[in-house]
Amino acid sequence: MTAEADVLGELRRLRACLPQVTGALAASIDGLVLAQETAGNEAEGVAALTAAALGVAQRLTDTTGQGGFRELLVRGERGYVATYAAGASAVLTLMAEPRTNVGRLHLEARRSSARIGELVDGALDRLENA
Amino acid sequence: MANTEASLKEATTSIDGSIGAALVDYTSGMALGTIGGGKDFDLTVAAAGNTDVVRAKVRTMELLGLKDEIEDILITLGSQYHLIRLLKGRGKNGLFLYLALDKSRANLAMARHQLNRIENDLEV
Repeated sequence: MTAEADVLGELRRLRACLPQVTGALAASIDGLVLAQETAGNEAEGVAALTAAALGVAQRLTDTTGQGGFRELLVRGERGYVATYAAGASAVLTLMAEPRTNVGRLHLEARRSSARIGELVDGALDRLENA
Repeated sequence: MANTEASLKEATTSIDGSIGAALVDYTSGMALGTIGGGKDFDLTVAAAGNTDVVRAKVRTMELLGLKDEIEDILITLGSQYHLIRLLKGRGKNGLFLYLALDKSRANLAMARHQLNRIENDLEV
């Protein structure tokens, strides 16, 4: 099984245990979709925007001395967008309803992003060593 | 009047058998403050999980057409009591106090009574 299939499986698991999540995608830090679990075709645009937001967020944590990027939570009038670092080369982005339990969102997404990070970094290592 | 930190401290020091306490915003599932707990009892996990408990009960009451409010929720485990007290009053709506007690050391009636007093003193 390739890393993409495992990552997609992780996204599905995450959505199954958080019904308030309306969309989930894993993207590379340069803005390309690795796997998506969303209705509609917005994933590519979201992945590209995530990369842009990530750049700003990274500079922000850097200049304020808060270390490397871990997560970003944006709340809109009609819901949340959350981005979590997943290893060294990927991020996990989630869209969620406004009534979402953010505490649980963080708990589950942090676990998932760590798992996705392992999958993606592991696959990259295998590519380099092949 | 006491702030969040002082109130949680009061809860864990004055209530017998207290293991940990948290003040939780159940619109977000995030804790405004926690005290006690530890490595094997993560209060932020408890805050998020019990937010789902509170929401489920609120929703059930809506479905049943009960026009009432929840004062508290008691969960009895084999070795612990978990008390959830929904706060009322200005600036305190949408919050609950969560208290975990050691069943063998706790006095439930006293704990509820003291939690009520702590709620009344709490200013967020």
